[in-house]
Amino acid sequence: MAAPMAAGTDPRALSWYEATARQRVAALADPGTFHEFLPPTERRMSPHLPLFDLPRAFDDGIVVGRARLDGKPVLVAAQEGRFMGGAFGEVHGAKLIGLLRAARDLRPAAVLILFDTGGVRLQEANAGETAIAEAMRAIAELRAAGVPVIGLIGGRAGAYGGGGLIAGACSRLAVSEGGRISVSGPEVIETNQGAEEFDSRDRALVWRTMGGKHRRLIGGADAFAADTVAAFRAAALDLIGRAPAFDLATLEAEQARLEARIARFGDCRDATEIWARMGVNDPDAVPAMTTASFDETVARVAEAHHDAR
Amino acid sequence: MTDWRSEARLPDERIAAGRAYADGKVVPATRAVALLEAVLRPGDRVCLEGDNQKQADCLARALAACDPGKVHDLHMVQSGIVLPEHLDVFETGIARRLDYSYSGPQGGRIARMLYGGQIALGAVHTYLELFARYFMDLTPNVALIAGVSADREGNLYTGPNTEDTPTVVEATAFKNGVVIAQVNEIVERVPRVDIPGDRIDFVVAADKPFYVEPLFTRDPAAMTETQVLMAMMAIKGIYAEYGIRRLNHGIGFGTAAIELLLPTYGERLGLKGRIATHWALNPHPTLIPAIEAGWVQQVHCFGSEVGMDRYIRERPDVFFTGRDGSLRSNRAFCQTAGLYACDLFIGSTLQIDLAGHSSTVTRDRVAGFGGAPNMGSDPHGRRHPSDTWMKAGHEAQGVGDPMLMRGRKLVVQLVETFGDKLVPTFVERLDALELARKTGLELAPVMIYGDDVTHIVTEEGIANLLLCRDADEREQAIRGVAGYTEIGRGRDRAKVEELRARGIVRRPEDLGIEPLDADRALLAAKSIKDLVHWSGGLYEPPAKFRNW
Repeated sequence: MAAPMAAGTDPRALSWYEATARQRVAALADPGTFHEFLPPTERRMSPHLPLFDLPRAFDDGIVVGRARLDGKPVLVAAQEGRFMGGAFGEVHGAKLIGLLRAARDLRPAAVLILFDTGGVRLQEANAGETAIAEAMRAIAELRAAGVPVIGLIGGRAGAYGGGGLIAGACSRLAVSEGGRISVSGPEVIETNQGAEEFDSRDRALVWRTMGGKHRRLIGGADAFAADTVAAFRAAALDLIGRAPAFDLATLEAEQARLEARIARFGDCRDATEIWARMGVNDPDAVPAMTTASFDETVARVAEAHHDAR
Repeated sequence: MTDWRSEARLPDERIAAGRAYADGKVVPATRAVALLEAVLRPGDRVCLEGDNQKQADCLARALAACDPGKVHDLHMVQSGIVLPEHLDVFETGIARRLDYSYSGPQGGRIARMLYGGQIALGAVHTYLELFARYFMDLTPNVALIAGVSADREGNLYTGPNTEDTPTVVEATAFKNGVVIAQVNEIVERVPRVDIPGDRIDFVVAADKPFYVEPLFTRDPAAMTETQVLMAMMAIKGIYAEYGIRRLNHGIGFGTAAIELLLPTYGERLGLKGRIATHWALNPHPTLIPAIEAGWVQQVHCFGSEVGMDRYIRERPDVFFTGRDGSLRSNRAFCQTAGLYACDLFIGSTLQIDLAGHSSTVTRDRVAGFGGAPNMGSDPHGRRHPSDTWMKAGHEAQGVGDPMLMRGRKLVVQLVETFGDKLVPTFVERLDALELARKTGLELAPVMIYGDDVTHIVTEEGIANLLLCRDADEREQAIRGVAGYTEIGRGRDRAKVEELRARGIVRRPEDLGIEPLDADRALLAAKSIKDLVHWSGGLYEPPAKFRNW
């Protein structure tokens, strides 16, 4: 069979949603500049999974390393959603935290976190929860030291559970339509509150509540990217350039933004009601919008633009 | 004197009793229970319309709410046991005997009720077989059917999901039966007359539109690279080699992957126009890219599919549509097309034994047959040749006078060696045998008999059973593609290599396929949204399939 049977010729045209963590990192960075720390050949695997008779991954589901982005030095972490839903275990978490702490000394132009996670790995819950807390603290310290931390969210697993919390701690977030950001997942909400409260099988409901378009419209994410590596690269470069200072003024602005948001939209029963209240002309048309027309809609919505975070 | 009209007077009496609750033919949903209690007699044969797609659900609820003191011991003769009410009536004694075809979602409960003796089961049929018996020994006394709209005369518009309705009405209305239709709305004038009003005795204005299950939608985002590999093997090793133009696909992900590979992989192999041009198939959303790329000449449908109606309306050159523009489906005719006019059936199954018998029955679930055995069998009544049919016939026969040869329909099982939850697909003994023993069935529910199967495709390769000359060769050919299952590991390696040398067992490399090329990038659509884009926005997927 001829060689170009598989993916297209341009790696940056690759679908972010479809790509593996390694494919994303390799295509995102300047060609040939990615250098992985603790690569699979080191076999730093979970010490806990064998107790449950579960298979391990040589990289524990996360790729970390350094690279250049448009010539600028960056550190990168990418979760592999195909391994245990990208969940945080002990080694997985330690690799992310180690990268964030290394950034304090190395002072890169930015740290990029390519989220693709359902949250904490149940089999390593304590270590996973600790890792979430330590990662959030490390991000706060890093941002205070002036290094922006940019989250890119467009993988199959989204950014759920502790992944959603870490995303909330980042300087800026870029999201695609397929990307989702939340803490409790749809099934968890349904299990606790019933299908009348939230029908997890209604995927359109899931996406208009937690998906990329909604998060961008309410200002939860700061950039909306088409589902290609090229679009996420452009978004990352843009967001590095406009990361907010991490000071008291920013935090107070964020607090004020969130208070205003709950006051204005707290009684809405569906995301379409929020969009209508924001002044979106045809809220029901939002989910089907192309990236170009969605960008135009975002430009007209005040809540989508702010300097807080 | 023989009274030749004793039966023929019955519908008049039943209709007269029912008129008390009707305004002309029209009955409000609130009086549906009273209507049924007036029309039905104990012991009646009743067809409550419902199959794997649409359901006369309003009438099903009404039947279940009838007083078992008045309505009891019914003999249900219907395609599908799908709604809870379909089985509730057996718990209350409203119904006692059952002849049916398909029981997908109720498979577990029907198995428990069969074990418990709450249902007196006649037989589990294929669709076409049950329809045939409607005209012989299972003719309904009363049919409870579903349509989209009706006028006050009873002229019925069944819409894109016509499905079983014409067959059920034909058997009931012309043999002294009473037909009651539920409709979503009563209108001045129906868009088209699917069933003439003089065959409909009562029209119930339903409280909500009848339910339709989107059974034929497969999300490309969930397709695996193993399925892509198997689809490549099927296209190159079977579709291309036999030049298959007229076909039916099952509902699995493997066949959906084939549909999505036609405009990409199939195109590169230069197969456009040479394969997959005429279909007996529901309007699978995953067929949209092949249609848009000009592969498909025509498609006849058993039923419709949720969200496909607008697309079908805009593609009348491909689909069968009425003068009103909407799809006209017909399960009986499409099953007949699948039986007699298709050269290939390809589908999946849960278990295959060493003789090639397959079944979707497990110890605690009776899923029924639906239509797969009609498509997945070699019709001995076929007389018209085609290149595909003749080639397969030559392979099967080996010797003898070619002018006296039967051709063969290709019946292909497309299965991964391990199914859901890593349960092996290949087994020594089908669970269906155990189920038949426990429930006292005379026949084990076999979906497709081994002697009808011509090829088995797994991720390990293709077994061509047509070329096997005895039972031992068949067994080794099946073991030869059964991978790491116990069956696969029990193969005679030397014999399998001999079969491989004869082209009976073929590996991907024997077909010139590099497994590493089996990439999701080959799928013409990788998500439901891609399908919407291919359709130019005409496909409107239901919410459960949308991730936007």
